[in-house]
Amino acid sequence: MGSRAKAILWAQFRTVRNHLPRSSKWGVVFSLLIGLIWYGGFVTLAIAAAFLMSSPAELGIVAKILSSALFLAFMYWQVIPVLLVSTGSALETKKLLAYPIPKGELFGLEVLLRVSTGIEVLLVLTGAGIGLLLNPRIPKWAPLALVVYTLFNLFVSAGVRDLMVRLFGRKIIRELMVFVFVIAAASPQLLLITGLGRKIRESLVPLPAVAWPWIAAAQLAQGRANPADFGVLALWTVAAYLFGRWQFERGLLFDAEESSASTAAPLAKSRMEPFYRLPRLFCRDPMAALVEKELRFLTRSTRFRLLFLMGFSFGLLIWLPVAFGGSGSHDGWLARNYLVLISVYALLLLSDALFWNVFGFDRSAAQVYFLVPIRMNTVLAAKNWAAVIFVLAEVTIIAIVCLILRFPVHPLRLLQAYAATLTVCLFLMAVGNLSSTYNPKASDPSKSFRSGAGRQTQAALMFFFPVTLFPVVLAYLARYAFATEWAFAGVLAFCGVLGAVLYSVSMQSAVAAAERRKESIITTLSGGESPIGS
Amino acid sequence: MDTSPAILVRNLRKVYGSKAAVDGLDLEVPRGCFFGFLGPNGAGKTTTIRMLMGLAPPTSGSIELLGLPMPDRAVEIKSRIGLVPDESLLFDHLTGGEFIEFCGRMYGLPRETARVRSAELLSVFQLDGNTSKLISEYSKGMRKRVAMAASLIHRPELFLMDEPFEGVDVVGARLMKELLLDLVRHGATIFLTTHVLEVVERLCDRVAIIDDGKIVTQGMLAELRTGSETLEDAFVRVVGAEHRTEALDWL
Repeated sequence: MGSRAKAILWAQFRTVRNHLPRSSKWGVVFSLLIGLIWYGGFVTLAIAAAFLMSSPAELGIVAKILSSALFLAFMYWQVIPVLLVSTGSALETKKLLAYPIPKGELFGLEVLLRVSTGIEVLLVLTGAGIGLLLNPRIPKWAPLALVVYTLFNLFVSAGVRDLMVRLFGRKIIRELMVFVFVIAAASPQLLLITGLGRKIRESLVPLPAVAWPWIAAAQLAQGRANPADFGVLALWTVAAYLFGRWQFERGLLFDAEESSASTAAPLAKSRMEPFYRLPRLFCRDPMAALVEKELRFLTRSTRFRLLFLMGFSFGLLIWLPVAFGGSGSHDGWLARNYLVLISVYALLLLSDALFWNVFGFDRSAAQVYFLVPIRMNTVLAAKNWAAVIFVLAEVTIIAIVCLILRFPVHPLRLLQAYAATLTVCLFLMAVGNLSSTYNPKASDPSKSFRSGAGRQTQAALMFFFPVTLFPVVLAYLARYAFATEWAFAGVLAFCGVLGAVLYSVSMQSAVAAAERRKESIITTLSGGESPIGS
Repeated sequence: MDTSPAILVRNLRKVYGSKAAVDGLDLEVPRGCFFGFLGPNGAGKTTTIRMLMGLAPPTSGSIELLGLPMPDRAVEIKSRIGLVPDESLLFDHLTGGEFIEFCGRMYGLPRETARVRSAELLSVFQLDGNTSKLISEYSKGMRKRVAMAASLIHRPELFLMDEPFEGVDVVGARLMKELLLDLVRHGATIFLTTHVLEVVERLCDRVAIIDDGKIVTQGMLAELRTGSETLEDAFVRVVGAEHRTEALDWL
């Protein structure tokens, strides 16, 4: 490793070390606990993999599952970060470009940082590798295949990250990508209707299975020294390196500000103006002014726009094929409730910007809230109202797109989607207001992809999101048990009341915390980035 | 001895959407010169200096620093220039000493040398009072001082400074001015942007004024002023500023 790369890592270490004593103790303890639970699970999985791989008697099972497991590892490493619009730690190249650092050294570090998006996979692969090494029937060189496979994943991940950041950083291309996602989501249905699917399937020559890197790596990891597998894995790894390096160098030349600048002359009046003015119809200042400011800020934030667009486009892409499957049947449970599923997925994406870190996402305005003569509960309530408006807009857009694509949108299901998301919203706002005041994290709304932005946010997503979904799960259970829609509505209504009480209590606590932790919040949010965005 | 200009810019453009922030800039800064780059807010000063620093790629045009083309020889150029960027390039969760040491190591100094020089620079810039204080806890003036201290650590030949005196107190500004003049006397070239015209009058021998992305005048400082004009008068005349306060009757 070069001296400059070492200096960057040193500065990052000092940053974390300096920041820890100044951050909230509860936040640190919470992060540690969640980290222990989450990574503890994967360590357990790694140990299980080690036991399985080390046993000569289980080689039959290993032969059956290894290639699938490696394919899953690839999917987890490359796809999940894209689904969550979160690319893990990455170099702050816009700052580091000021220094004379050779590109090769920066790329090396960037590749190393890609570990941050696949630590879980790396743990399990390490366990599997150790197991293979201990297995007397496997040659000692065989686990090296997993090391090469890891390198392949790191290079792909580096390339995918830079590609996604650039694609979604460009104004027109970002919107175009959304269009592509929506079309892709609709394609299974369209293929079924037109009968094109069968024709395409028949005309496609199946790719030889051995050509895939996970299959070659699995074969080699079991000690089968087939030259073709060596060749396939080496070729994929070299190709991944070239792709990663190419994308990284293009990323260095990328000027996000330039790409996101409008190519058209500024309009005298935005087309969104009636939407921004919406709050004036329902409430008075200062609440109306605050909600309006949130609507304006969020619609102009690159990250929020991306999350909002992905909420319905990616949501449709993932859930429609799952719900309607190859048969195109509209009778399955998933097919009947797909609107709720997509809405909840959209909520998961939006929660990063709308709930968990409301001050950090708009950090330049945070100081103003403490200076102007407005009560903090008005500020928080305004942020929450803006969140509700966007969530309702998202569900409405999902329904409209589904109608355009001729997917069934039953009024009752649409009503359920609104009711379920609003109920979950109440719980998310209750938890989010607390996390926003107790654990604010400075974040950059102009960045389309989150590069980590705090373990607390990640931990909150992992832990609290499933908890906040509990009312919806309960409502579905009630409907299943009593076989009536009234049970669904009743349980959801009860959970709504519970959520409202919880929201009210948490609001009081958050307001008190905001007042008490005023200085700490402002200091935390005024902090800039470190050499590595994490 | 290399006689190429310290900075040579030809037809430099930077376009954001439909707006050219820098529009066909031609600039020549001789070596050993103290060059002031002036202009009203939003004129394109920071965009220009960011392109010179290699932080933003130009849309078109060419840049040569110390006789080397940018970005082809970027690593070599960057190792010979000192930057006092705008505040966004500081790492807020490092202490001043750690940041200066980090910069030294980025410029290839051995760790021990970087550490010793960092301590000396902290002392000269009077930032050694509280060594555990993070940059995020610094005042604006202190942030500028730490940025300037960091720019000196590798003894560069050319300095690119974006508003180096912004928010700096009188004592700190005096120290920085003396230091900069001393650097120029020893052959360094300084290119700075500032709004403080007193600084320009006192330090710079050459100036250029940019307005709306274009250079409106450049040359020796004395040539810019006509008659008994102050630099402020000359600046306002050149950029054509107007004062309209009638609309604020209610005030």
